[in-house]
Amino acid sequence: MNELGKLILGSNAFEGVSFISRSQSVHYMEYFSRAENIVAILEAAFNLGVKTFMCSNCENIMAALGEFKGNREIAVLPVIPNAYEYAREASEKGVLGAVISKAKGFSMYQKVRLGLRALAKIKSVISRDVLNLLAELVHFELASFEKYNLGGVILHGQITDLALSSHNPHIIDIFQNLIKETYKVQPVLATHNLGILLPQLMDWKIRIPVMAPLNKKGFMMRPSQEECEKLIRETDYYFIAKKIFAGGRLTPEEAFAYLTDKKAGSFVVGVGSVSEAYHTFSVAKSILKI
Amino acid sequence: MGILHTALVNMIPQAQLSALSDINKGLAKYVKDSGLQAPFFADLSQMLREVDLDAVFISTPAFTNLPLVEQCLERNLDIFLEKPLAHTLEAAKKMVSLVSQKTIVHASGYLFAHIALFQEAKKLLEEKVLGNLFRFRSSIYISEVFSSRKGWYYDRAKSGGGAVINIASHLLYLLFWYFGPVREIYAKTQSLYSEVDDAATALLGFASGVEGTLDVSWSIPGYRLSYLDLLIEGDNGTLELTNDYIKLYLYKSHKKYPKEWTTIHKIDLGCSKFELGGEGYFEEDLEFIHCCLKRKKPTVSFKEGLEVQKIIEAIYRSAEERRSVRMGEDDR
Repeated sequence: MNELGKLILGSNAFEGVSFISRSQSVHYMEYFSRAENIVAILEAAFNLGVKTFMCSNCENIMAALGEFKGNREIAVLPVIPNAYEYAREASEKGVLGAVISKAKGFSMYQKVRLGLRALAKIKSVISRDVLNLLAELVHFELASFEKYNLGGVILHGQITDLALSSHNPHIIDIFQNLIKETYKVQPVLATHNLGILLPQLMDWKIRIPVMAPLNKKGFMMRPSQEECEKLIRETDYYFIAKKIFAGGRLTPEEAFAYLTDKKAGSFVVGVGSVSEAYHTFSVAKSILKI
Repeated sequence: MGILHTALVNMIPQAQLSALSDINKGLAKYVKDSGLQAPFFADLSQMLREVDLDAVFISTPAFTNLPLVEQCLERNLDIFLEKPLAHTLEAAKKMVSLVSQKTIVHASGYLFAHIALFQEAKKLLEEKVLGNLFRFRSSIYISEVFSSRKGWYYDRAKSGGGAVINIASHLLYLLFWYFGPVREIYAKTQSLYSEVDDAATALLGFASGVEGTLDVSWSIPGYRLSYLDLLIEGDNGTLELTNDYIKLYLYKSHKKYPKEWTTIHKIDLGCSKFELGGEGYFEEDLEFIHCCLKRKKPTVSFKEGLEVQKIIEAIYRSAEERRSVRMGEDDR
């Protein structure tokens, strides 16, 4: 995980996600529908030394990444697949339609490059071969990021947790082999069930970095805050902490004070404005002594 | 939804996934690839004959619910049935009549009963924090349908309807849970893109005297996930319930709740032991399994599912006949 910084800029706000209120979510959706507002935050983070950016391939985020002058100097951590977009598109066009629709956004070069794969993909979708489908989705999703420096690739929590609850290590194996062999970067698993996933990974003998919620309020720390803290403390998996502000219920001061003695390798930090970026990252650097 | 319930049941230690069934034979490969350790049957009768089951989860198109329930009842299986109960009120009534002749455990998949924040609101209303209730306004929106659609989901004869039966039904369950049976309904529906209702507005009067409005749309931009907003007025103040929080405004303090504003955030209520597919699904399935083991009635049984179905039917009837519909007017 050499390319990952201690602090990672997250993109929930850019995607209109808020755990606090609908009005905040609407504000984020409107404000960050303009790519320049995302670029301003990328610049603020960059100026403060935060050079890793975790994001999905939403249209506004990809536009901002394209405009951001430092885009070749940061490590991008794509979260794939863009589950919400697929869910929305799939309800509109079916799973196949959703994938094809996504492909329409690719450049001619990308389309030509992916064209041969697409035939196999369509076949795999029709036969519902979930493992082939996963591999093709990974290629499709990552095609949007090919001109950027990948710091790693994160498997969306809904897929990780589906693999976990299906007791299926093969999905994770395929993902990590694909990312390591084809893209030569570090695969990461996101989860909302850390306390169940980590023991299962140990049982499956799968060594892979894991990203999960870690915060003072225990928000989304399943099955319990105590169990998650214990596992982070006692295992040697590379751990990336997210939801560190408990969905906006903790101040940066409260959040980072709690995290000082936690054995996390990286922290995903989401911000909703330039001033918030300067304040939050300054507090993080001061408290975490980065 | 079938995949989701399968995965969730797999995470409940007291339950064992014994078999899966779908008329689509191609799913057998999906089941195998997914790592699910259970035999797959394209023929439900064969599955019921060959596998010793205690309970079933049925997550199929609404028009198939009744015949599937009938088959499972022949084997006296406990049944979890995804919402809505059926595509028609008649089918839902028949289902409830059939299960009432058995001693099986039956649950209907109205998820909101299993979400901590909505349970907290129920508790507040039961504690009479707002005093006597008299009015509400409510809405539920999701950005989903923006072009003409095909398939059973958009065919009223098979799905039973559109946004009302598929989206608003969750909110209707919540209103029924909070206020009791409905007395009278006046509603209008709109088909903007599909051949079923894409949006609807209803005025609902409850037997308890509470009156208010419901607004639903699955064709409105800006709602990546479904979002609920319910404002309840009582003689001691108001309670606003959303996906994210409960906001109380009280004229007089009530026990631990002070005069004027109190906000209870979802985040502060703790979280479930496991999560997949969204809040409440795991708790819903867990409760059903526990009820099967303890022979208890789940929070949302077919009976509550039928009450919601009656409201749905009255909304559609009111919209079609352009008049106010009194509940049970055909029963007299």
